[in-house]
Amino acid sequence: MTKGKGQKPGQKSGAKSGSKSGAKKPGRSVTAPPIADVSAAGAVENTTSGKKEASSPAARIFPVDTHFQQMARRVGGLQRDKAIERAQTALDVVKPAYEDFLEREVTGLADLVRKVETGHDEPGWIETAAFRTRQLRDSGGTLGYELIAFVAGSLCELFDSIETGSECNMESIICHIDALMLARQKSYRRLRPEQVPELTKGLQRVVKHVTI
Amino acid sequence: MNLRDLVILVADPSSYISMLIHGMLRGFGSNKILEVRNSNGVLQTLMGQKIDIMICDMHLPPHGGLSLTRAIRGKTDNEHRTMPILIMSSDSREATIKRARDAGANMVIAKPISPANLYDRLSWIAFNPRKFVDTATYFGPDRRFKIEGYPGGVGRRAGDKEVEIGAESGPALAQDDIDNLFSSVQTGQD
Repeated sequence: MTKGKGQKPGQKSGAKSGSKSGAKKPGRSVTAPPIADVSAAGAVENTTSGKKEASSPAARIFPVDTHFQQMARRVGGLQRDKAIERAQTALDVVKPAYEDFLEREVTGLADLVRKVETGHDEPGWIETAAFRTRQLRDSGGTLGYELIAFVAGSLCELFDSIETGSECNMESIICHIDALMLARQKSYRRLRPEQVPELTKGLQRVVKHVTI
Repeated sequence: MNLRDLVILVADPSSYISMLIHGMLRGFGSNKILEVRNSNGVLQTLMGQKIDIMICDMHLPPHGGLSLTRAIRGKTDNEHRTMPILIMSSDSREATIKRARDAGANMVIAKPISPANLYDRLSWIAFNPRKFVDTATYFGPDRRFKIEGYPGGVGRRAGDKEVEIGAESGPALAQDDIDNLFSSVQTGQD
């Protein structure tokens, strides 16, 4: 990755941009758009970057410096490391309660699938199951429950493929539910996917088979 | 980055995910965070008060975060038309990221979200204001970018192996690759 493209957002370029905002050169004037969110300062065009703007008369291009951008650049904010540390601490606070959530969601998902499997009419069950599974994947990933996130992610792929027209293969869904039931157990829930290769490779094979 | 007194709207159908994002934002110093669960909630909130930035899930019901983004960008008499919009998506295939970009999103963040990723994306939006483009078919942040040797999201790095991919989906992108799709004129690549 090139450095320019891959630079961490808000680091070097942030400082550069911040100083730039106060040092805009007067140049070609651009009509401010008829919307309230564009700052007066933003209505001045920098001549050095105006080459493409002139090429397309149908396109109106104008700088925007929103209230968010102006305010977020104020001095007095938290340093990146400190902010991230505090955010991580906030997540650590909710982690103990996550296991209750996990238990509730996995059980709810399993119950739903079992009902469908045994012939109960559950309208919209795919959407409900997909929603619950996405929650498990996203929360598991954020809170460091990687195996949960992996299994739920794999199940999400199945639901996504069903929503886009693939056949609904209950066996493959139940296989994932079983894997989730296993992954929620204390001895498994903090494992990483690579620590249980048989499980992860098996699920990958199932998904590949069903979604092709 | 100073988020104090900025009004942040978190739009996610999951109350649990919203709670996690809320906690992260609090950690960053934010003190005005609103949560909604669907597009109607977003539109009602936008009618009622000024929102400084929206963090919106790609799957926001009923029609998804991208439809909502297009609606906000497309409504001309709308004070939130240029509001920064950060889309959260677990689908990080290049085609999906481009759809988000073409809808007018400022940035896409890949789910699951980590504090560092969220902070960096917010910071990127704050410190790299992009020009807006208004045409007959698009209103939103400048989408122009140039990717050298980057067909289908593979083969860009020297060490990358050749990979055959389907024409329509493409591989999932890493967060850095997503960022690159949004890096624009200010990086000097237009």
